[in-house]
Amino acid sequence: MTRTRGEHVLLWGGILLAVGGSLFPFLWLVSTSLKSPIYVEAIPPTWWPDGSLVFYRNVLFEHRLFDYMINSAIVAGSTTGLALLVATPAAYALARLRLPGTAWILRGLLCVAMFPQIVIAGPVWRMLERLGGLNTHWGLVLPYVALTLPLAVWILATFFNDLPRELEEAASIDGCTTGQTLMYVMLPLAVPGLFTAAILTFIYAWNEFFFALLILTDPAKHTLPVGIALFQGEFTMPWGEIAAASVLATLPLIVVVLLFQRGIIGGLSAGAIKG
Amino acid sequence: MASLRLEHISKMFGRTTVLDDISLHAADGEFVVLLGPSGCGKSTLLRIIAGLEQQTSGTVRIGEEIVDALPPRERDIAMVFQQYALYPHLTVRENLAFGLKMRKEPPAVIEARLAEVAKLLEIEDLLDRKPKELSGGQRQRVAMGRAIVRKPKLFLFDEPLSNLDARLRASMRVELKKLHRRLQATIVYVTHDQVEAMTLGDTIVILDQGRIQQIGAPEQIYQEPSNPFVASFIGSPPMNLIEGQIRCVEEGFEFRAGNFVLGLPLRSGEASRLDGKPAILGIRPEDIALSAPPTPSVERPATIDLIENLGADCLVYLIVDGQRLIARASSVPPQQAGETCTVFMSFSKFHVFIDGRRIA
Ligand SMILES: Nc1ncnc2c1ncn2[C@@H]1O[C@H](COP(=O)(O)OP(=O)(O)O)[C@@H](O)[C@H]1O
Ligand SMILES: [Mg+2]
Repeated sequence: MTRTRGEHVLLWGGILLAVGGSLFPFLWLVSTSLKSPIYVEAIPPTWWPDGSLVFYRNVLFEHRLFDYMINSAIVAGSTTGLALLVATPAAYALARLRLPGTAWILRGLLCVAMFPQIVIAGPVWRMLERLGGLNTHWGLVLPYVALTLPLAVWILATFFNDLPRELEEAASIDGCTTGQTLMYVMLPLAVPGLFTAAILTFIYAWNEFFFALLILTDPAKHTLPVGIALFQGEFTMPWGEIAAASVLATLPLIVVVLLFQRGIIGGLSAGAIKG
Repeated sequence: MASLRLEHISKMFGRTTVLDDISLHAADGEFVVLLGPSGCGKSTLLRIIAGLEQQTSGTVRIGEEIVDALPPRERDIAMVFQQYALYPHLTVRENLAFGLKMRKEPPAVIEARLAEVAKLLEIEDLLDRKPKELSGGQRQRVAMGRAIVRKPKLFLFDEPLSNLDARLRASMRVELKKLHRRLQATIVYVTHDQVEAMTLGDTIVILDQGRIQQIGAPEQIYQEPSNPFVASFIGSPPMNLIEGQIRCVEEGFEFRAGNFVLGLPLRSGEASRLDGKPAILGIRPEDIALSAPPTPSVERPATIDLIENLGADCLVYLIVDGQRLIARASSVPPQQAGETCTVFMSFSKFHVFIDGRRIA
């Protein structure tokens, strides 16, 4: 089937609109971060930055961006690790055990994932207060894990479900216990699913603002989103610093996603099961 | 190696009975083929032996040990799956070694066994490839190797050749036969292909609808099928089966189906009981001759409906006294389709079934 000229225009127009629309705010941010302070609020706006690194120097040396980044890495990293550690066996059980009601458990998980966070904020805060988790990183990791688990379980269960049962049966005949089957056969084949779940969990924990603001009040413990938001003074809005910090905050995420993306593609081709 | 004994195995999935009171025995080193149409419960029975499925009732013994409570990994069996089920993320070498590693064999033993099996199956050149880089026949060999390398008590094969093309299937069949002779292994082999069953099996177990129809050596099953199902299932083209009635006459018995009447070689002791009974008469296509055979036979005029030349022999579609019969002839008959001829049927080759059971 060949496309007409009009269809081509429509297709490419759509692609450009989608990419441009989602990239524009970010590009504007990048541009702002690279301007000298006098150009930031200039009217008419200048599109092309003059390449000044003042804002970057400011956020790195006058604000505590570096600390925030480390805090975020700790929180997002632990959240991802912990969530996968719990989600993997849960997903395997849900995908494979012939128990009644597994479909309903999975649906229930999806419903829970859609709960508005504001609803659980109060109870979570109170629980953490009792547990002594306020103002600690683990106190933030705990609700993050709880909130990301449903999606992680869902993604992994879908992956496990798609793997042929015969492989597990072959493994059990070859001498594996259920745990060994999961470890040596199923997990290596579910690598793309693990990476997908890991990326989504990591992005969530890296970007989350609301609980981070609620639970961590000590500036030394702030994560990136909260730290950056608090650049804002009582009367000033340091746009340039916020832009530079946001760009820096996004870079690790891009690196992580690119790394994991290669894993996903590698995993997909390694998992050729058919035939 | 070990023997296998199944005692009164039944299996229900929900309310459907998939296997009904299956008892059979495979001696040490015996090649037993489970043969039956698709859906008759062959795979389920194999999976029960393996421990992948739990029977509803009955007992499985491997080497006289009752294994009902043991998980698959403790039964010391090996299984070759229809889809091969090779581990896609492991190389051929790792696939072969996997079971040995799981059983904590020392590396030197693993190396030695691997080399031995790779040589036996001629897969030495493939050891570093992943399954997706193998052809269907090569995967089949690797799957077989993974079973052999473990030296299990019992081999289970679930239609291992059904995914291969016809030519490869024929050559693998021959190799399997040789392999069995070399390994002296106890094998339970599931197939729906009668040629595989006839050529491979020491014993054939015919299953239909979850029940054993007949157990016997290939020749026995071919020559003395115990019921009409087995008679029609084994043989290609299938045995001619004619539904009719038994009649007592002065000279003994005769079989009647409309105008088709044949004297039967039955002993006369049961005369009164058989008279008037509905019966099925079976005659194999190769037992209908177009020229007089040396053995005593009956002759009938027939009309030739169609001739199929298969090269080595030919199939002649006949109408004899209103009944359609297929004959297998070693050479093409001189007559054309539509012409008449004489057919000869040997008494001794008749199969007679009454109430679903063979009586002669
Ligand atoms: N897990 C199961 N649940 C319900 N029915 C099943 C299950 N496994 C097999 N069956 C049924 O049992 C019958 C026999 O299946 P199977 O043993 O696979 O037959 P075969 O291997 O001879 O083709 C089929 O009718 C099939 O639908
Ligand atoms: Mg089957």
